[in-house]
Amino acid sequence: MVEKYDVAVIGGGSAGLAALKQLSNLGKQAILIEAGKQLGSKNVSGGILYSKKPRQGKAHNVEDVYGSDFLSDLPVERKITKYMLHSTSRNKIFTMDLTAAHEYQANFGYTVLMSKLNAWFAKRAGESAEQQGGGIVSGVHVKSISWQDDGRAIIETDELEPFEVKAIIAADGVNSEVAEMTGARPKFTPEDLYQGVKVVVKLPEEIIEQRFGVGPGEGAAHLFAGDVTLNHIGGGFVYTNRDTLSVGAVYHYDSLMRLPAEPSQLVNALLKNPMVSEFIKDEVAVKEEIDRNLPKEEQLRARFAVSKLIKTWNELRDAYHSPDARKKLVEAGKYKSEDEIKARLDFVRNELTTKYRTKFVTDYVELEYSAKLVPDGKRCMMKKPYHKNILFIGDAAGRGVFIGPRIEGLNVGIDDAVRAANAAARAIDRGNFSPEYMGQYYGDLVNDSPYTRDMKEIDKDYLKIFLDATKDVPKDIIGQRYGMVFKLMSSGTLRGLAVGLANILGYDRLLPLVESEDTYVQVPIELAEKMGQPVSATYAPTIPTVSQRVAKLKYDDDRTSHIKVLEPRSEFMKKMVTLCPTNCYSLEGEDVTLQHEACIECGTCSKETEWRHPRGEKGIVFQYG
Amino acid sequence: MEIKGYLMPGNTLNAAVIVKLEPDFSEGNVSYNADGTLNRAETKSILGPHSAVASSAAFYAKVRYGARIAVTTMGPPIADVALQQAQVLCDADELHLYSDRMFAGADTLATAEVLRNGIAKVEGGQLDLVFSGHRASDGETGQTGPQTAWKLGFTFLGNVIDYDIDVPNRMVRAKRLISLQGFYDVIEEVEAPLPVFIAIDPSYKASFNTVSQRLAFEKYQKEGKVRAQDYKRYLKVFNAQQLGADPKLVGLPGSPTIVYKVERIPKAKASRKAEVIDGSSREELRKAAAKMYEILGGMVIK
Ligand SMILES: Cc1cc2nc3c(=O)[nH]c(=O)nc-3n(C[C@H](O)[C@H](O)[C@H](O)COP(=O)(O)OP(=O)(O)OC[C@H]3O[C@@H](n4cnc5c(N)ncnc54)[C@H](O)[C@@H]3O)c2cc1C
Ligand code: SF4
Repeated sequence: MVEKYDVAVIGGGSAGLAALKQLSNLGKQAILIEAGKQLGSKNVSGGILYSKKPRQGKAHNVEDVYGSDFLSDLPVERKITKYMLHSTSRNKIFTMDLTAAHEYQANFGYTVLMSKLNAWFAKRAGESAEQQGGGIVSGVHVKSISWQDDGRAIIETDELEPFEVKAIIAADGVNSEVAEMTGARPKFTPEDLYQGVKVVVKLPEEIIEQRFGVGPGEGAAHLFAGDVTLNHIGGGFVYTNRDTLSVGAVYHYDSLMRLPAEPSQLVNALLKNPMVSEFIKDEVAVKEEIDRNLPKEEQLRARFAVSKLIKTWNELRDAYHSPDARKKLVEAGKYKSEDEIKARLDFVRNELTTKYRTKFVTDYVELEYSAKLVPDGKRCMMKKPYHKNILFIGDAAGRGVFIGPRIEGLNVGIDDAVRAANAAARAIDRGNFSPEYMGQYYGDLVNDSPYTRDMKEIDKDYLKIFLDATKDVPKDIIGQRYGMVFKLMSSGTLRGLAVGLANILGYDRLLPLVESEDTYVQVPIELAEKMGQPVSATYAPTIPTVSQRVAKLKYDDDRTSHIKVLEPRSEFMKKMVTLCPTNCYSLEGEDVTLQHEACIECGTCSKETEWRHPRGEKGIVFQYG
Repeated sequence: MEIKGYLMPGNTLNAAVIVKLEPDFSEGNVSYNADGTLNRAETKSILGPHSAVASSAAFYAKVRYGARIAVTTMGPPIADVALQQAQVLCDADELHLYSDRMFAGADTLATAEVLRNGIAKVEGGQLDLVFSGHRASDGETGQTGPQTAWKLGFTFLGNVIDYDIDVPNRMVRAKRLISLQGFYDVIEEVEAPLPVFIAIDPSYKASFNTVSQRLAFEKYQKEGKVRAQDYKRYLKVFNAQQLGADPKLVGLPGSPTIVYKVERIPKAKASRKAEVIDGSSREELRKAAAKMYEILGGMVIK
């Protein structure tokens, strides 16, 4: 006898967790299956989590799902209050303030780190689900789904005995195996996708506030286009977290295929931009070689002592630059006052310089390197986001709003989740899980979503913000490229007409014009050259190599590979040698070979491989995400 | 719908775990007195590693069969930290500490006597399962388990690496790791009626392979952590009198053996003997066949 449940959510990213929470909110039993052991350890974002108040229709926001708990606990980083777009060319930068675009129809936008955020979501969703006889099952990888005559689905996993469910919510992300194994949609193509690569950089809390000109708890988003793109369509970002920065590059996969560039180099280009170098800079302790003439034991002791002191210095310094941590240290009686913390900090620093000849230099500290594909909803959202009794949500359904600097997948996935959960709950009440009753209904709900509209149509009010921001830009820079379109758009009365016309043409026709190298590379470069200010960096950051970055990551190694190369000589696979962010592919003679150990499960190579997520608990374990 | 574990109506099993507070042998932070005996005052004490394995084996009974669990130990008042640490591992419903000056100096037999008296107090003596570790790390001989089992009159199953219970028929099915003719990886499968005393092998690892087991695992694991934060609420301390222990059978008077010194043992030499049979003649081959027959014939595997 197999175990039976009402609903299984597959995938515990922000979308799947919201589905579980919403089902529990509605009093329905559901279980969630997640491959990662710790919830949040497999997810990567930029990212800014938005809550929206669209003028038309309703968005189901994070706080609607998790209640006021979310707003009081705030498992987030900083509330973004500044949103700037920089056009770069060499050392010249032209900046436009796009805070209005960030605030457009938004209740708020917080920076988030997925590992922390999803762990918080999981705690709430798991507790609610338990009360309905369900819960979260982590460290389990779904490998196949089949259907019985009565329409119920049997789910097989690598770890557990098969079980039966009436409905499935597929939230298994951009590289959805559920979509693939059920034939619900073909694999996404490079045309549909962006590749995101990110590094998390350490920076003490108050230094962030001073440097970015924001108050406590507030943050800034800085976006980059121009020569930092190394001629690709897309751009870079620097987001402030509480005591880290997220520095990332997101590029259209198609343009990476045309002009292959190593993902790490794309982030590096950003890090080397003088403005970004200055953003990330910090004081870093560098160990001095230990005198080899000393006796072995003495050397060992010194090495130990230095490491320990540097650790203390780092921790104390982070605490000293954080009002909360400072207060806690004093309250706990570890220090009498904040001055005493400072004194101790100086003492440790002095000890390091005088006793151990440690140097303190200007550099930056990377904590984590990550990557993930991002679906561009305009191009790849599932027209019918369901298949039999499976409802697809979030990245798995190819749903994300991608307009200019706007990358929204988190809020879209949460909104989808609510709609899917509502449809599933209604199906439970009626005992009807057929595609006509449940799937179709979900499809209709999704069609009503304001985000779906954003994936289909141009929003002229949003566009206006950009036009307003460029009003001081000489028309010849922009006009010569977009000619008529721009003229129409920049006139108030004609804008409506132009947008109407554009919407008739549809995104399909418009995208090659708007999402082009002109927009992301040439125009910004020209802007920077003609109107930009020179910016200089006071140092050159020491950027780690890919192997150094990989060495810092945490994995639960699986000896067998989750990816199989099918055509080792295809053009696509050859490009993977460059495009895999962790250099898992190499060319041996004519054949492309894979060493899966360093794989961070981004999905870039999935198109022409037999691509699975690793077995439960195995593979990458992100600490930040 | 077949759902085992915590969704099963009614608790049908009662289990006890015997644990021990031991010096923390990890990280080499052990200190010895000048005479070579352990300096207990300076060595930090924790739940012994074998006790931890026993606790997780009991936890399996909770997850799979909804068993109620009592963790028990004999020791000084500070031994309650071992109970607390065990509670994290097995979400114990009760914690029993048998503590009395009279118990001091007990050898394994006298310890077994205290435990027997104590365990009789668990669930009014209605016990189905008792778990203990393989042995303690701090110089115990592995006799406490069998002796307690013998005193309780329970079937003793040693070196258990896996077990399941047929609840309606009150039968345990266990796998034991046994050594036959010097071969260490022979697994014997046995069946025994409840109640049983299970000494868990250090290599034991529980596996949960259905959704409901995983859900129950999560639920009880969380509950265990919460309970352990407030472990004193679950703690009952018994002295000799409350246990009704016979003074002649516990502590020093009840101990026929006395440990007078624990020596640091020099690294043992490998004791396995190898006989070379080179297969060069019929005679040699016959020898090989006979040897294999002898070994295989010895494995009574059900
Ligand atoms: C660099 C970058 C920047 C971004 N910036 C933003 C931003 O600023 N704002 C924004 O809103 N969005 C942003 N996004 C997009 C956003 O991060 C994603 O849309 C979102 O994280 C997707 O959530 P999800 O739950 O749909 O999928 P995921 O988070 O990918 O979750 C899928 C889960 O399913 C699990 N899984 C997969 N297969 C199986 C299986 N077979 N069995 C069991 N479990 C399985 C995985 O382990 C994973 O945990 C960004 C993305 C990237 C990469
Ligand atoms: S092997 Fe494939 S999925 Fe893994 S990191 Fe490289 S490109 Fe990404």
